Amino acid sequence: MRTPIVDPERRPGLSRRAFLTGAIAAVGGLIGAVLGGGGLGYVLSPLFRRHGEEWVDIGRADEVSPGAPIKVDFTVRKRDAWTTVERRASAWVLTADGKQFIVYDPRCTHLGCPYRWDRDLGRFLCPCHTAVFGVDGRVVMGPAPRPLDRFPVKIVGGRIMIRPEPVKSERS
Amino acid sequence: MKRILDWVDERLGAGPIWKALFARHVPEASGPAAWFYTLGSASLFVFTIQVVTGILLAMNYVPSADHAHDSVQFIETQVVLGRFIRGLHHWGATFMVVLVLLHMLRVFFMGAYKYPREVTWLVGVGIFLLVMGFSFTGYLLPWDQKAYWATAVGTNIARQVPAAGEAIGLVLKGSEELGMATLARFYAMHVLLLPALTAGLLAAHLFLVVWHGISEPPSRSGGPPP
Repeated sequence: MRTPIVDPERRPGLSRRAFLTGAIAAVGGLIGAVLGGGGLGYVLSPLFRRHGEEWVDIGRADEVSPGAPIKVDFTVRKRDAWTTVERRASAWVLTADGKQFIVYDPRCTHLGCPYRWDRDLGRFLCPCHTAVFGVDGRVVMGPAPRPLDRFPVKIVGGRIMIRPEPVKSERS
Repeated sequence: MKRILDWVDERLGAGPIWKALFARHVPEASGPAAWFYTLGSASLFVFTIQVVTGILLAMNYVPSADHAHDSVQFIETQVVLGRFIRGLHHWGATFMVVLVLLHMLRVFFMGAYKYPREVTWLVGVGIFLLVMGFSFTGYLLPWDQKAYWATAVGTNIARQVPAAGEAIGLVLKGSEELGMATLARFYAMHVLLLPALTAGLLAAHLFLVVWHGISEPPSRSGGPPP
């Protein structure tokens, strides 16, 4: 009698080889998913970092008298990954009633020169190319293409807080 | 899928290569002894993890004395899964040394280094030394107290070599003081020089393993030694 090569007791279905192949594939896939997924999350990390709204305290609200714009200097601390970069900046602050405040980017919208306030004329004058802006920021005269840019502003506990990135004004 | 594989295989004729690599004969070991044969593959696997996590860490790490520690803290606290990836690299480094050492002991005690596999053994010793190099240079990179003083001790040990000691210490540190220059050159060695050398030796090692086949577990069945 020849002994059968195939074990007659062997159940049909999953063979040892197929089981091991599947097990290796499953474990390998799991490891690959953890490494690949983790690595992908790590690389895409900048996408998930939330951009906190950074408000800068630029001074007391009651130091600005209505109708008289003043120039305020302040320090912006900006986080750059693991370092903090400090930068000096300034802004023109004005208020009509002591409640609503407007904060202008101190650079002329023409070519970025620092303009000044002329009390007698009641206008902002740019020395570079004679651009003139009204107290509401609108272009009165000269080459400026759009009104003065503003910083977002809010009053918290009597202090003027701004976000140090100016919002570009609409072309009027 | 099968059609794509067939298409590629028809053009590359890589079937025999696949067979030689993955369908080769391996010793029929069973029981606890069989596990000893997994140490080489385990080392290779951990090395792969070290490469992947190392590339990821390098994306956020700066090898400069005034930034290294802060950038590591940045990875730990700000980067998504940064702590996990750094943890893998940290523990992988430890496991790498353990696994490579166990692999070496396995080969030694089973006599698997003997003829005709001496070259495989020698290349393996080279890889072991490179792993030691990875450990030594990588330990400095977090730039914390432990890293600094461990490297201070390490470089001072190197300085004990008679006559040439001072010169060796100077070359290792890159300057009189352990500092910027040391960190820069340790980083360069860790991520450029050592990986390149390891890739070469690893390729040779794996080729030789496949070329010779894996040795049988030692047995007395061949009769008593002469």
